[in-house]
This record gives sequence, structure tokens and C-alpha cells, in this order.
Amino acid sequence: MIRLESISKSYGKVKAVDSLSFEIKKGEIFGLLGPNGAGKTTTVKILTTLTKPDKGACYIDEIDVVSNPFEIKKIIGVVPQENNLERELTVYENLMVYGMLHKVRNLKNRIDEALLTMDLQDKKNSVVSNLSGGLQRRTLLARALLPQPKVLFLDEPSIGLDPHIRRELWQIIRGIKAHGRTVLLTTHYIEEAEALCDRVGILSHGKLIALGSPQELKKQIGEYVVEFMDYEGKLFSEICRSREEAYEIAKKRGDGVTIRRSNLEDVFVKLTGERIKQQ
Amino acid sequence: MIEWYPVFLKEMLHFKRKLLRMGYIFSAMMAPIIYLITFGVGLGRTVRLSEGNDYLTFLLPGLVAMSSMNNSYSWVASSLNLSRIYFKTFQVYIQSPVKPFSIMIGEVLAGMVKGLFASLLIIVVGFLVPSKFSINLIFVVTLLLNCFMFASLGVITGMITKSHEDTATYSNFFIMPMAFFSGTFFSIDRIPAIFKPMIYIMPLTHTNILIRKTFIDIEGLISLIVIIFYCFCFFIIGSNLMKKYSE
Repeated sequence: MIRLESISKSYGKVKAVDSLSFEIKKGEIFGLLGPNGAGKTTTVKILTTLTKPDKGACYIDEIDVVSNPFEIKKIIGVVPQENNLERELTVYENLMVYGMLHKVRNLKNRIDEALLTMDLQDKKNSVVSNLSGGLQRRTLLARALLPQPKVLFLDEPSIGLDPHIRRELWQIIRGIKAHGRTVLLTTHYIEEAEALCDRVGILSHGKLIALGSPQELKKQIGEYVVEFMDYEGKLFSEICRSREEAYEIAKKRGDGVTIRRSNLEDVFVKLTGERIKQQ
Repeated sequence: MIEWYPVFLKEMLHFKRKLLRMGYIFSAMMAPIIYLITFGVGLGRTVRLSEGNDYLTFLLPGLVAMSSMNNSYSWVASSLNLSRIYFKTFQVYIQSPVKPFSIMIGEVLAGMVKGLFASLLIIVVGFLVPSKFSINLIFVVTLLLNCFMFASLGVITGMITKSHEDTATYSNFFIMPMAFFSGTFFSIDRIPAIFKPMIYIMPLTHTNILIRKTFIDIEGLISLIVIIFYCFCFFIIGSNLMKKYSE
């Protein structure tokens, strides 16, 4: 459904995206995971026609994004990282203007459906700036889904949201996948990528350093992690291939050792020596 | 549906909300009213005009031209600049299947409405003060063209400025000198010959010439052609900037 072929983009001397290539299958939730500045948003901006790449080619539904952006805009929906709703307008007005821009047929019915899906019916006439962060995110999602796009781009969809609202949002995203849409989401939340994504691409300094399902990636580095602290209270961890191996290491270390399952953060640390969250 | 309509509609929804705030109408009227009182009623009594008209009759069309310029221009320039740089709402247009040309039309028409609204307030005041102020077809056409021209220029500014402060800088360099030296407050005949070529480059000069005409003579015709030329150039440049937009 989405194909990137050696996409590169620089801003001055900074290489935001460096020879990026991957494919996303139809109906899959694909996550781009990486710290801030890894090139996730730039990739989304290129695929959503907001930015032109310096090199390479990319296709959505076999349509060339660079040479035919107008056709691309007809089949995509975007929820940007930064809230770009018209804050002084109501939820309904925001959806109406967006629907008109996308030439949505039976617009009033479609707006009502979108409001119902996102549980926003009673906020229809509320001015956006008066809504909570979670409700504004839901409005952004309702807006993006209005033209029933084939591909939905979610750039850091749950950034700044409370944990329980984040989980609510995850349910909505799973529902979107259930309708057969392809979803590309960027995130720097490990739990989000693990909870939602069928496959994940890990980005570091604009390069793709790992690609696969969260389970595959964790299996590649080892499924268990032994964590322990030194005398100064500094946390160390060791990744193990099996539970037995982890027990052996834990035994040698003695007290204050914990064994847990590995996560995508461990994958990132193993591959780059850096952490996602700290950056 | 007409492609530019949602762009125009969004701006009008914002405009409607601004109108409902009483302060907005007063702020739109404030500068022209101050000029009207200071120059028209105050200093104007000492001004002698060669045409034999009273100064208020001379000043009012100029104030309408200036006010329409300021409001058409600044509405579009600020709105575009803020939506592009700070609120990121301009991305919604770029990511929608709408031609850049249509976005341009929507923005320019919205700027024109704002300019015409501000002009209407001055026109109403113009009929309330004792003067021979009147409106004819040339006045209306010139006003519409002036709003179109400066709304298009506003798009250019809104698209090229890198921060909101830049908008004020452009305004100080281009709009402010035009407001004072383009024949709004005094006839351009009084400007020293050495500065005249520069004055005739300014688009508002031609608006001020044309808006005061009761019939189209050679001077009026040249000004009309210049205004149409500027309208065309600004519109094409603005459309191209939208077409080439990339973050």
C-alpha cells in the first residue's frame, strides 16, 4: 500500500531522512518508532505531500507521491503531531470545512457518523479551544476519517495525553484498522508501538535500523532482560536469549535483580546504544 | 462545489466571530476616524485645493482607499502567516485535494470582504460629515480592484514571511509609506519631481487617482491599467508561492 524507495531529505546540513526504504501492507498498522529528531515526522510530511524529498521515490496505492500529489491527497487522512484544528471554530465547523475541502458527499450524514464514531455528538457545537486535549485529538481523528481515506497517518497521536485517554485512543485506532484501513503511526512511546502495531520500523538519525513485528524484533535481540543496580545506584541491564539464561545471570548477581520481558526500548538500546525516552 | 468556497467560508466564519466582538468594529474604524478628524476637520481647514473642492471631499475617497488597502492586506498577510507558521492550519489546505489557485481565490476573496467592510464604515461616516463626498461606478470598481490587489499582496507577504514580526516589518516598509505618500492626504502634484517616479510605482497612488475620478480620462485609464497589471502580477505570484509550498 505504501512504498518508500531510498527517500532522503535534508534541512541545511542536517539529514532528517537518510535513504529510507520500506513497505507497508494494506490493512496493517505500521509504526515508526524513534526518539525526537529521528526523522519520523519528516517521513510523514513527505508521504502526506507537505514536504518534497531531495532524493528517492515513494508510492501510496501505486500512485507516485512526488509527481502526483493531487491524487494522493484524495486517499489519505492525516492527524498531525501539532493540533491544527481551527481553534476559534466549533467542532462541527471544523469538520464541515474539511469535508468541503475533500469534496465529501452527503457531508452532513458523514459528519454525524464521524461524531458518533468518536463519541463527540454532544461537543458538536463546542468551540475547539474550549475542549480538553483528548477531545481535540478525537476531533482531529474524526476530521481525518471524514473522507474515508484508504491510508491514515497518525503523527504522535497520543502525545501529551493522560494514560487512560491514551488507551481510549488506542481502542479507536484498533477500530480504524478493523475497517480495513492502512495506518501509519509515528510514536516514541514504546507501549503504544507494542500495543497497536503489526509491524514497526525503528528510526535513528533518519535511518531505518530495524524492521519487523514487535515480537520478531524482541526475539532477535533476546526475550528476557536482567536488570540490576551497581553500588552507586546506576541501573544496568543484560539481554538474554532464554529464561534459563536470565535465571543464571540473576543468580550470579544476587540481590536486587529483576527479570522482565524485553521491549522495543531494549531493541533500540541494543542497536544504537542510546535510549528512546531520554532523548 | 466551487473549490475556493471552503477556504473562503473558513475565513468568513472567523470574520463573523470577530465582528461579534464589538471591539473589532471600533478598531477597524479607529485609524481612519483619527485621520479624518486630525487631517480633515483639524488641519484640513487650512488646506486649499486647486480643484476648488473642500478638503473633506478630497480626503474621504483617499481614506476609503487607504482603509481598504490596510484591511485587505493585513487580514490576509496575518491570517496566512499565523496559520502557516504558528497554528499549522495551512497544512490542511496543502494536504487537501484543492488546487493552489483555488486556495488563492478563497484567501483573496476573504481579504476583499474584510477590506470592503472597513471601507463601508468609512463611507457611512463620509456621508454623515458635511462634504460633497459621493460614490460612482468608477469608485466602486476601483475599490474592488484595490481590495483584490492588496489581498493578493497580502498572500505574498503571508507566504514569504518567516515570522509574525516580519509581517509588521513588511507593513512598515511598503504599506505605511503608501498610506502617506500616495495621494491619500494631499495631492501627489505637491510631491517634488525627483520623488514622483517612486510615487507612481506605488499601487495605492493609482487607486487614489482613479477613485476620485468622475469620468475616465487618460490619467484615469493609465491608472486603471496599472492597477489591473498589479492585480494580475500579485495574484500570479501568490498562486505560484502556494503551488511551490513545501515545509
